[in-house]
Amino acid sequence: MPVAQAQGLSKRFGAVQALRDVDVVVEQGCTGLVGSNGAGKSTLIKLLLGLIAPDSGQAVVLGHDVATDPLAVRASVGYVPEGPCLPGDVTAADFVAFMAQLGGLPSRQARERASEICYQVGLEEERYRAIGGFSTGMQQRVKLAAALVHDPRLLLLDEPTDGMDPQGREDMLDLILRVRAELGVDALVSTHLLGDVERVCDRVVMVHGGRVLLQGSIAEAAGTSSPGYSVQLGDGGREVQAALVAAGLEVRPVGDALHVRGPDRARSPEAREARSPEAREARLPETREARSPEAEAREVRSLEAREVADVIRDVAVDHAWPLRRLAPRAPSLEETFLRLQAAASAPAGPEAGSDGPPGDRRPLPVRPWGTEVPEHSGRGVRR
Amino acid sequence: MTEMRVGAIYDRGYRHYDGPREGRSRRMRAIVTAGVRRCLGLKRNWKTKVVPFALLVGAFGPVFAFIGIRLLVGESVGQFLGYGRYLGIVALVLLLFAATAGPELLCPDRRQHVLALVFTRPVTRADYLAAKLAALLLVIGLVALVPLLVLFVGNTLTAPRAATYLREHGGDLGRILFAGGVLTVFYSAVSLAVASLTERRSLATAGLLGTFLASTVVANIIFFTATSFSGRRWLTFLALQGLPGRFVEWVFGTAAPPGSMAAEAGFTGPAYLAALAVLTTLSLALLAWRISRLQP
Repeated sequence: MPVAQAQGLSKRFGAVQALRDVDVVVEQGCTGLVGSNGAGKSTLIKLLLGLIAPDSGQAVVLGHDVATDPLAVRASVGYVPEGPCLPGDVTAADFVAFMAQLGGLPSRQARERASEICYQVGLEEERYRAIGGFSTGMQQRVKLAAALVHDPRLLLLDEPTDGMDPQGREDMLDLILRVRAELGVDALVSTHLLGDVERVCDRVVMVHGGRVLLQGSIAEAAGTSSPGYSVQLGDGGREVQAALVAAGLEVRPVGDALHVRGPDRARSPEAREARSPEAREARLPETREARSPEAEAREVRSLEAREVADVIRDVAVDHAWPLRRLAPRAPSLEETFLRLQAAASAPAGPEAGSDGPPGDRRPLPVRPWGTEVPEHSGRGVRR
Repeated sequence: MTEMRVGAIYDRGYRHYDGPREGRSRRMRAIVTAGVRRCLGLKRNWKTKVVPFALLVGAFGPVFAFIGIRLLVGESVGQFLGYGRYLGIVALVLLLFAATAGPELLCPDRRQHVLALVFTRPVTRADYLAAKLAALLLVIGLVALVPLLVLFVGNTLTAPRAATYLREHGGDLGRILFAGGVLTVFYSAVSLAVASLTERRSLATAGLLGTFLASTVVANIIFFTATSFSGRRWLTFLALQGLPGRFVEWVFGTAAPPGSMAAEAGFTGPAYLAALAVLTTLSLALLAWRISRLQP
């Protein structure tokens, strides 16, 4: 049973359409809400909390209609907001106890529970110090403690690792995993850090420009991206990269290797032609029998992977560059997100209405990976 | 040889809370308690206690001094510190207390974005407003009402016959509660309304003090210089710091100083009470409107 569900949610702030006709289902477990800055993540969370009213649509959280019973929703939900929101001159223990009382706990139980939760999130003796002297990481822990202290059933975390150093980020992600594992609290983690989502979430909702691009399990989401290879070819320099790009591949240098993948073949005319029954029969005569859509998608990806490998091999042969490494790479969430985001940002082309998945119907320009993400991106998504 | 086990440390991990839960009253009480502590600087560093406790000393000092003198000298000291006179003495302390306590209650919540957390609990804006107002009423009542009650109790206990004093001055208790109550509500409402206009405590404090003191000075200057102005008697209502004093004089039956603006304007006490009621109502309306627009 979903812990939160939104249907047709739209919200406009002045000239900015923050969300448009959004349908989201947050299942039990940990769900990542991914999008660039300004994509509408925080607006969606505030709508789910009933802090702002939608222009249209409705949301149900933990069985409560957000529009008619927002207080019941907030009583069962813990929220970690983005950015500073803590009083500087109050001790962590006092503030968390105050938040516990706002959750309905009697004062003695609130103090005990606050002390316990502060300890669990890693605030030991520090909990008796004023919050103003805390580092960003410790302040995030206080926010998490405040969100957990009244024992919520659902945790909404808005950019929980934002501004934290690598160790602090790891610690915070560990905490989220612990909360999920030990308390069984479901979580919706809003972030633009895809690495965080891959680390702690089992499902993902990708939003961009106020629309949902994709939602599903992490494996499903990552699997929708085109396959690629880790390649060590020649000296791996600009000339090699240019040759691969000229051959129609997308290239991103990573360390000593190049990450190479095919262009957005799934929607290119050539790919559609290659996927046509005639072409498949011609190349794979043994697969004439009918297949499920999933099996067909796997087959197409497998076919595309082999085609990419062929192109890399041809480039190596044409230029007489030594091919030292050609290892398949599993598609990642980041690739999927960038591809979907670029597709959503690109102007509608003649390919609209093709047979690609919903929200993913326009061709992508071939470009090297890691280049600037098109409009709406702000800081963009990073790992 | 077996080792004696003297203790063990358990990591109990996260646990669900299955204890009692209270409702709206608990949430309101939490905000009220936190607000009172905040105004008085309790559970915070010593610097935050300096101003409120200095003002409390200013409010209670005359009372305890007078009671002490009566204990030492006896009844012969008379009633040189009457209840109305006391409120006149602490009028500035009351204004300063309101000007610092109201902003202390509202401004940091907005400036530090604490509302982003408060409003994600089952707390409505109306609850928040009512709790903040209750906290300020308690704190300002500490200055406007409690010293008068202490003075009344002191007068009673130091009188030659307490029962006689109570019988003869029983009406004063009602007047104390009425006057102190009205002043508490008035200063609380105005202070919170001004504080709701800005996130900065210093601006709110300066704004409230400036408005009260400047309006009184300007109204007096115009009143005594523009003697040919036919409607000048109405200027007495623009002297904001003078309004509570005129009201208190009426309650305790004392007269405005001869030659003062109030004496020459000729309005009676109920007019000043009505003016205080209008200002309080307008302040509460402004406050409610500002709180309703708060974005967490």
